[in-house]
Amino acid sequence: MSREAYAPPTLQPSSSQFNTATTDIAGPSTPYKCGECNAEVHLKKGEPIRCGECGHRVLYKMRTKRMVQFEAR
Amino acid sequence: MAPGPISPEEARRRKIVGVNAETVTNVTSTDFPGHHPGEDHEWSLEKFSQKSFKVQFHKNDPLDASFSLIGIDASIANAFRRIMIAEIPTLAIEYVFVHNNSSIVHDEVLAARLGLVPLTASLSGLNWLQFYKKPAKQDGDDGGDDRDPALDNNTVVLKLYAKCEWRGAEGVRSGETDPEKLYVNSSVYAKQITFEPTGRQNKEFPEPDGHVRPVNPDILLAKMRPGQVIDLDMHCIKGIGADHTKFSPVATATYRLLPTIDIVKPIIGNDARKFARCFPKGVIGLENVTEEESEMGEELEGMVGETKAVVKNTFKDTVSRECLRHEEFRGKVKLGRVRDHFIFSVESTGQFASDYLFLESVKILRAKCSRLKRQFANVMR
Amino acid sequence: MPSVLASEDHLMPNAAAESGENVASNPDETFIDLNDQRIRVLPGASDTAASFEFDAEDHTLGNALRYMIMKNPEVELCGYSIPHPSELKMNLRIQTYDGTTVYEALEKGFDDLLGLCDVVIDDFTVARDHFKAKEKS
Repeated sequence: MSREAYAPPTLQPSSSQFNTATTDIAGPSTPYKCGECNAEVHLKKGEPIRCGECGHRVLYKMRTKRMVQFEAR
Repeated sequence: MAPGPISPEEARRRKIVGVNAETVTNVTSTDFPGHHPGEDHEWSLEKFSQKSFKVQFHKNDPLDASFSLIGIDASIANAFRRIMIAEIPTLAIEYVFVHNNSSIVHDEVLAARLGLVPLTASLSGLNWLQFYKKPAKQDGDDGGDDRDPALDNNTVVLKLYAKCEWRGAEGVRSGETDPEKLYVNSSVYAKQITFEPTGRQNKEFPEPDGHVRPVNPDILLAKMRPGQVIDLDMHCIKGIGADHTKFSPVATATYRLLPTIDIVKPIIGNDARKFARCFPKGVIGLENVTEEESEMGEELEGMVGETKAVVKNTFKDTVSRECLRHEEFRGKVKLGRVRDHFIFSVESTGQFASDYLFLESVKILRAKCSRLKRQFANVMR
Repeated sequence: MPSVLASEDHLMPNAAAESGENVASNPDETFIDLNDQRIRVLPGASDTAASFEFDAEDHTLGNALRYMIMKNPEVELCGYSIPHPSELKMNLRIQTYDGTTVYEALEKGFDDLLGLCDVVIDDFTVARDHFKAKEKS
């Protein structure tokens, strides 16, 4: 994404071109892990940050799915 | 010149490095032409191979060999030792490709741990493997060869996949806290690393003994809890210890000089027992003074039947110099080490047998010389 | 810091025989291939006094070679130094008496060390095999 295309997120959802990338009306969801019960939590844009299982408010991002290379030194 | 043969006493004096309470004496070797006028110290291969050089073996386990090289200079013995540590090529993990690692051990820490795991494989396969030439670091896109030089004859691929899960309630008593009983794969061990042969490696590293594998199956690599995964590929290459310790084929490669203990004046009775306690067991023995001895020396006169300290086996001595701390032994004992008797101790990490490593070190020194001699001939041309 | 690329030469005979590209020149200047020209005569050399610069050598060869060359009665002085610990270089100084040249002295040093290594290999193998046989019985 170039610098011009980036729009800082605002409190009002779905105001502009932001959702054009996906056809899903609800928008893409991002998986998180609950810091309390370890359940997988899928959050969409604008949703409260909260675990659906236990209501805990600390969520962790998942590790990248990309391969990472290291030197064994 | 008058090249007279030197007396045995003089020869012994030159051979022994003196060890005093606080100092050492006679440290430097003097066996060079011109050092002792009229003596011949020129290098002679015949003299070396037929007279002076000797090898004695004390122990020959694959992971621990001990032997003596006698009649060789420290500079040469040290070269062998240094080569064993730093210049014999071995196979070790160099690149780690992490697909997933959700354990608490960070990727870079885990990679460093994996690198230090000693590997082994069939000897012929290890010798068949060549050096991997690392691609030059490219600053910018100014061309260069982009192909990865990894081939079946210079890179070995290993994989590690482990996922921690609950073992299930069956057979687990309530209130159990032992993670080994509660979870599968709570500990990841080196034995879980698998070998992925490619190309000619199938032939060079035959199953099961020839496979590239960790020497010690029970090295703990990481700990996990249910839901955590380690999934990674590893590339092993050949390297030398000078580059990184993980490539060093020896755990230790050391030598020490054979200790000497000279009892100058007899040590008798309770002193003898105390004297023996100054040394490790078996170094000093206790004997009774015989009649002949009491007749011969004035110091032993009329002491028949008394206990006397004798040197039994200096090999076991550690040269702690404890005996030099006691007033009663002053002037009665001289400690030293034999300048040209090197007791080597080689402990392999397991990729090669220890005796093989020493032979390899000599071969490498030899190869160094012949290669440089060839290059030196070019200088002359 | 330049790193040393150990050479396959002599140690891995079957591997070296199969691929000729091993000896190919290295594109990266910071690598020193052990098969490259690694000896240089430093300026100011005469037939009886010269200093040699060895690339990618250290105390291992320096001290061993110094000992062998000092065993030569034609040699007045032989010494080595590593001028800087982070430069992979070793300097060897040889001064000889009039009867010979430094070049002969260095060559003899190499030859003597080669001969010594052969004797050590032979004697070590004999002693080990003897020990193995004794252990078995």
